[in-house]
Amino acid sequence: MSDYVIKIEGVCKSYRFFELDNIALQVPRGTIMGLIGPNGAGKSTTIRILMGLVHQDRGEVRVLGHRMPEGQVAAKWDIGFASDDMRLYGAMTLGWHLRFMQSIYNSWDARYAERLLKRFGLRAEQKIKGLSHGQRVKAALLLVFARRPKLLVLDEPTTGLDPVARHEILRELTEVMADEDRSVLFSSQNTQDVEQISDRITFIDRGHIIDSMDKEAYLDRWRRLRLEAPAGVALPALPGVIGIRQSGRLAVAISNAFEPHLPGAYENSGARVHAVENMTLEEIFVANVERSREEVEA
Amino acid sequence: MKGQVTLRLIMKDWRMNSPVIVLSIIGGAVALGVLLIGGETPFVLGAVFFFTSMIFCACILPLSSIVNERKKQTLAFMMSLPISATQYGTAKLVSTLGAFLIPWLTLIAAALYMILGRHVLPNGAIPITLILATVPFIGFCLITGTALVAESEGWGTAAIAVVNSSYWLAWYLLVSQAPSVTRTWNSRVAVWDSATVNILGAEFVSILLILGLTMILQSRKRDFI
Repeated sequence: MSDYVIKIEGVCKSYRFFELDNIALQVPRGTIMGLIGPNGAGKSTTIRILMGLVHQDRGEVRVLGHRMPEGQVAAKWDIGFASDDMRLYGAMTLGWHLRFMQSIYNSWDARYAERLLKRFGLRAEQKIKGLSHGQRVKAALLLVFARRPKLLVLDEPTTGLDPVARHEILRELTEVMADEDRSVLFSSQNTQDVEQISDRITFIDRGHIIDSMDKEAYLDRWRRLRLEAPAGVALPALPGVIGIRQSGRLAVAISNAFEPHLPGAYENSGARVHAVENMTLEEIFVANVERSREEVEA
Repeated sequence: MKGQVTLRLIMKDWRMNSPVIVLSIIGGAVALGVLLIGGETPFVLGAVFFFTSMIFCACILPLSSIVNERKKQTLAFMMSLPISATQYGTAKLVSTLGAFLIPWLTLIAAALYMILGRHVLPNGAIPITLILATVPFIGFCLITGTALVAESEGWGTAAIAVVNSSYWLAWYLLVSQAPSVTRTWNSRVAVWDSATVNILGAEFVSILLILGLTMILQSRKRDFI
């Protein structure tokens, strides 16, 4: 079997006011891939295509070795899918949902489901309509986790959760990944969540994948340099620097391929380097999106 | 792999729709009970409530089973299960059709019992009762097909409005265009003339056509959520 649980190549999908353009995405087995993008970036459309719920106009999609959307029935036996806009049956109890899922999946782990019920503070006899938003999200994820799927596809699962509930969900996700054969694709607008649990990160904006690599590589390569350029000194355009914002004598340069010699290069040009700072994933995400939009507009 | 997912979905829908099924049967049974009082007014009231029970079931079932699945956002949960859009559509069609047929057949059987067993009406009323009772079945198929294919509350409601306002017209046309059916309704024996058989045949062909078209359109969908 392939080393990739998800392999998307050249996928396009057109709507009247939105276009997913030439999407390529690979998720290696045993990794947590964070898919980050602003509202309307194409995260949910990409996920629906790889679940077979939306058919791509062009391109190839393989999930767990199955060609999508044709192979969606076989693939979905091993995929646990939950999304922000997914609801359970309000009139039924959580216990009814547990029994319903157990009646379908051989892989259902009843003991693990019991453990999750306790850990998430849920009661099987509660009706779904009586649960809070956080409890409903936990209930939906419990139904997914207890199936022990090979691949988890989670579309903004932590949206609208309080910090404690988010922490519980993320901790559980990390535990799920104790099995090295499991993989997760996790979309979110919350870069903190993604930074906390992901091995690899993909940025998507306006229907384009703008970057995709290891989380550590992002954090290693991206730096912010605080510079001072005396009068008459022009800051040079150096390789690896994707943008400079200048205000009077002070400037901030953003590098997406930082090398130790970069500060020296600025010093040699006559500028002073006040600081070289690491960037958070959120800052990297924003800088990446801005660069991508500037390139498109240019 | 455990039992067929499609079968599980059908069982799930039947369980969820059981209140509508029971209510329709109780409503129809009460209506038939009114017929036992005798006299013209109880006859009219009983007949109106009898068909209203069928119409209620024909409207509510597609709404609760199909339109609500999208409106209440449980469709994504269903589609996360190992089924295709076509299998989901088949499960919905079979479960909703089955849920409708339970009260529909029960009420028809009860009406036949009232005619043949209790002699509330003459046997000649059997053909026209079947013809009139099949109209809500066609209405149910139209509403179900529209709800499944259009996947919107607006279209579902529009289909209900159009179908409900067409019942009286359809019944009037049936009766006025086939006078032999109405002429023999109070005869002692049921008369199965060619007009009666043709109308019933056309009704069931319409049902098959609507259901077939629904399945074809459902299987051609490219975007499901």
